[in-house]
Amino acid sequence: MTLLADIGRFLIMLKGMFKKLENRQMYWKELMRQCTEIGFGSLGIVTIISVFIGAVSTIQTAYQLVSPLIPISTIAQIVRDTVILEFAPTLVCVVLAGVAGSRIASELGNMRVSEQIDALEIMGINTKTYLILPKIVAAMLMIPLLVIIAMALGIWGGRLAGTAAGIISPNLFDKGLMSDFLPYNVFFALTKSYVFSLILSSIPAFYGYYVQGGALEIGKASTKAVVVSCVLILFADYILSALLL
Amino acid sequence: MIEVKNIQKKFDDKVVIEEVSARMEAGRCNLIIGASGSGKTVLMKCMVGLLNPDQGSIFYNGNNFTTMESEAKTLIRKEIGMLFQGSALFDSLTVEENIMFPLNMFTQDTTGEKLKRVNAVLERVNLAGVNKKYPAELSGGMKKRVALARAVVLNPKYLFCDEPNSGLDPQTSLVIDKLIRDLTLEYQITTVINTHDMNSVMEIGDYILYMYQGKKEWEGTRKEIIFSKNQRLNDFIFASEFLRDAKDMRMLEETGKIPNERDMDQMTRP
Repeated sequence: MTLLADIGRFLIMLKGMFKKLENRQMYWKELMRQCTEIGFGSLGIVTIISVFIGAVSTIQTAYQLVSPLIPISTIAQIVRDTVILEFAPTLVCVVLAGVAGSRIASELGNMRVSEQIDALEIMGINTKTYLILPKIVAAMLMIPLLVIIAMALGIWGGRLAGTAAGIISPNLFDKGLMSDFLPYNVFFALTKSYVFSLILSSIPAFYGYYVQGGALEIGKASTKAVVVSCVLILFADYILSALLL
Repeated sequence: MIEVKNIQKKFDDKVVIEEVSARMEAGRCNLIIGASGSGKTVLMKCMVGLLNPDQGSIFYNGNNFTTMESEAKTLIRKEIGMLFQGSALFDSLTVEENIMFPLNMFTQDTTGEKLKRVNAVLERVNLAGVNKKYPAELSGGMKKRVALARAVVLNPKYLFCDEPNSGLDPQTSLVIDKLIRDLTLEYQITTVINTHDMNSVMEIGDYILYMYQGKKEWEGTRKEIIFSKNQRLNDFIFASEFLRDAKDMRMLEETGKIPNERDMDQMTRP
């Protein structure tokens, strides 16, 4: 029953976001602030994760490819497809669910507990539109960009690690990268990133917006938001892979 | 003018407010008093629309707020300013940005005009020059004054104050009370104050509604409170020996048996 009630409240929250804007300029300003926080605020961690994931992929793929019949450039192909199809969209979004998701939940939770949301309501501002919509839109604009950056950095990290470890030469890696490339894989990764960014922004917003109590409840809501977002991202990953691949 | 008619509010099976009616006039400080858990905060939240009453109506200048469409409610809300117990200032914004926020949202004024208005209200609450500070850099009393400045920056018709003196020392409380009273008179605002600060009751209570266990127990003015025979009210207001003596003293003053030499302006002067 609680789950159904939560789903109902979540849908009502989403519906409540689409109301007339009081002042477009203020909403634009808030959207830009959120884009900066979600996009640039997560760039550092995305960079680190992507480079290392690409590097580890290269080394582990090379470790498993022991047959002399398989050309060495296949390592680059495997790294490219793994990074594009799975690591960049899924792993980055799971990490972002922790970074951006917990920030969204705790920011809204703190605003709720300290009556800042009530203050906005009293002013006649639709708080769902003003506080939640810019966060979701910003996530859906910035996270696919971060995923594209993660793809490039992941592949670059793989190339760097392969060269540094003497596994594969840069020329051979580049040759492998170019062969049998399917642009559809990028489309699939971006589709996933849009779905994941919706999940990782709206779920924490829901838990933060409806928090009740004090500082302890904000922490609990934040943790719950991250856990639920991660599970839903993995579930959506499976569904999308089954449907689109 | 705000009129509350037979308001009732339940949470699950617990009745928190039962059949409360009141009439709060413009240009007066209307106080809702009562012990913790008596339902005064819930009543105020129903009045501003943060909670929906289960029964009864709230009228703003004769317009039924409880049955209004959300668009019409929004229009009324734009005429409401509210001072929250915890100030509810936006942490990420400076004092200036906090006060300018309603102006940015609802007016087409130029930045210069908005800044002029912000400085005027900051001066009005004796806080000129703190424009660039963040809420975390302010004391409790200063936060309350900034919140008050934000609440009145759009010249509201209705001002709601939820425990404006909680957590403040007696002298700062008097400053806040005086500010609220002066602003109420100056702009003829219908001010509703939720408090259990007895200084406020005796100094600015033009109309006092005493709540006891969710019901209206007593209503009247601060002068009438002195002569009230309501035992629950007297037990609540004049809880200590000192306050009972003060009440006797005030009764003598009010009946002209001894001169009243106290003046709130003098008391709040630094």
